[in-house]
Amino acid sequence: MKSKLACAVLMAPFFLLLVTVFLIPTGTAIWLSFFAADQPGLGFGPESTVFVGLRSYVAVLSDPTFLNGLLTVVLYCLLYIPLMVVGALTLALLLDSGVAKLRSWMQMGLYLPHAVPGIIAALIWLYLYTPGLSPIIDLFAKADIQINFLGINTVLPSIVNIALWSNLGYNMVIFYAALQAVPREVLEASVVDGAGPVKQALRIKTPLVRGAIVTVGIFTLIWALQLFTEPVLLSQSTPMISARFSPSMYIYDAAFTRNNYGLAAAASVILLAFTVALSFGVTRWTNRKAA
Amino acid sequence: MRLSRRTLLAAGLTAPLAACSTPQRRGAGGPVEITFWSALRGSQQVVDAFNSSQNRIRVVFQQIPSGGQGGYAKLSNAARAGNAPDIATIEYPQVPGYAIDGVARDITDLVTDRVKQKLLPQALKLTTFDNRVFSVPLDIEPMVLHYRADLFQANGFEIPATWDEFADLARAVKNRFPDKKLTLFPTDGGTQFACFAWQAGGQWFDTSGGKWRVSLADGPTQKVAAYWQKLIDEDVVFRNAGDSKQHDAQIGQDRVLTRLSGAWDAGAQMRARPGQKGKWRIAPMPVWDDQVVGTHGGSTFAITKDSWEPEAAMEFIEWQTTHPDALTARLKSGTSSQYPVAPGLVAAGAKAFPGEYYGGQDIYRLFEQEANKVRDGWVWGPRMTATLKVMQDGFAKAGAGEGTLIDAVRTAQSGTMPDLKALGLSTEEGAR
Repeated sequence: MKSKLACAVLMAPFFLLLVTVFLIPTGTAIWLSFFAADQPGLGFGPESTVFVGLRSYVAVLSDPTFLNGLLTVVLYCLLYIPLMVVGALTLALLLDSGVAKLRSWMQMGLYLPHAVPGIIAALIWLYLYTPGLSPIIDLFAKADIQINFLGINTVLPSIVNIALWSNLGYNMVIFYAALQAVPREVLEASVVDGAGPVKQALRIKTPLVRGAIVTVGIFTLIWALQLFTEPVLLSQSTPMISARFSPSMYIYDAAFTRNNYGLAAAASVILLAFTVALSFGVTRWTNRKAA
Repeated sequence: MRLSRRTLLAAGLTAPLAACSTPQRRGAGGPVEITFWSALRGSQQVVDAFNSSQNRIRVVFQQIPSGGQGGYAKLSNAARAGNAPDIATIEYPQVPGYAIDGVARDITDLVTDRVKQKLLPQALKLTTFDNRVFSVPLDIEPMVLHYRADLFQANGFEIPATWDEFADLARAVKNRFPDKKLTLFPTDGGTQFACFAWQAGGQWFDTSGGKWRVSLADGPTQKVAAYWQKLIDEDVVFRNAGDSKQHDAQIGQDRVLTRLSGAWDAGAQMRARPGQKGKWRIAPMPVWDDQVVGTHGGSTFAITKDSWEPEAAMEFIEWQTTHPDALTARLKSGTSSQYPVAPGLVAAGAKAFPGEYYGGQDIYRLFEQEANKVRDGWVWGPRMTATLKVMQDGFAKAGAGEGTLIDAVRTAQSGTMPDLKALGLSTEEGAR
């Protein structure tokens, strides 16, 4: 009895938060996506709230600007996630192998950018990317290299770069912690069997931290699909980032520029479903491979 | 990341709400108090003049950012929170959107025949939908050609009367000066482009069939897009944002010879570049075949659904749009050159406008002549801010060499239709 009470008390904050910041907003979004305050014809008459079925969903899915945003974010994931996972893992393996000197300083230096809030990070990079302000562009210009970080083909890599800078250290720490848990006797056995450091890293350590790789991969995927802060800030400096650049920006634009809450809600539900489906797919796929 | 997103959203939501929580009060026995929001320059002077002209109504004025800079978001948020001001300033393209959203109240019964008679009918038509009036226009702004008289004279350039002459002149300027251009195609200028289409006979939106017929890429618009695309491809016009430091520099360093914008821009130019005094003159906008023009800019006053005193609000609106003292007060602030919708005010405007900047040219007479050439029948759409934004995103890409102007127009159409459908409006797609 007592343990049940303790259980309830300890779990209560979790469920309270789950209900208030996830279930209620999600429920509201779903409701908003199926109902709308409609006026018939030209729309100047009195409003009445009616059930509109899948109308908002059809509208979102037939909107090329939304589909473009989805495509943009898929491209972003294809570019960002492999770079992030491989980069963070490589750094963690280097640290673990003992090649790197001053290990704790390295760790801190790499982790520090993660402590910078995303919006500040984007502001710092905005400064470095903006022609006329950026010392980097000036430096390149002195070497007679014209570089435009915010051009039509460079803007996505520029955003990837910001995200990498922010998150590489964090994920590296996760990998490093996982590598610490690899049994030392396994590593010693591999050395006895003649594995060099590279072979050891690729064939022994990497498979043993597979769980961490999958976790990092899924978290990064979910985070990347919600791409918002960086492009919103960069859009101040380049017309190449439209107001509907990513699905999250599309949702923001639909709600706050177009005052079209049904459309925004439907797009949010679609993005949520897309994220859940992708994460689920990735989990299933990796589990099957493990089996 | 997640935290910052939320902070950003929260900041975007609460800042406007916090700023607009002035409660609306009825004066107990004293004057009726009404609130008025505007981004228009000289509004404070107009309000002061009105408040001192009588003692029944007291207008409380709040200067807000212009629509694109957050003014419209502020108004929408306030309306959602139920504390919109009595009177809001809305530009023509946004009137149908605010009418559909129920922010601008149907004021058909408040706009008396006396008021109607004082206003240009073609302007009132732009704020009337479904035979209902949703706002009262203040100014109508025919697009005109602002040009550098000194540079024209020194080089023997003639003022182009037609678009063909304009294109030839653009080529001549480029041949003569490697660093100068005749004009700018503003990649952020959706409203300028709309004006070009309007003049050429485009009909982006049509409500005559009881539904929103959308045809952004109709024949006249295709003609206009092809015309500017050619000038861009020949590299005889600048193609960057108009509202940018870059364009400020182009004007300030005498690198651009003409500007195509509404009559109001004469005042904005005076304020922004006092050093170019005497160098600019104004001519009619070049034409295709018919002697017609479109408008660029212009504002209207709407009474919001939250107003408790619509009659008093209407009285102030009527005074502001039709009384000579209102226009005089605004123009005396020295920053405006609006062309009033009430023809009876033109004389007062011509008198109050400080003319030295334009070398004594009677610009109000020119505006009057041009205002009468505004093509009849244009209708703005239900989500004009978004439609124009998508178009401008395409223009910016076209300016950078990816895609064309007409692609941008078509994208704007396909990005607008889902929006209108999700609002539950009856729609129909025309030419695209």
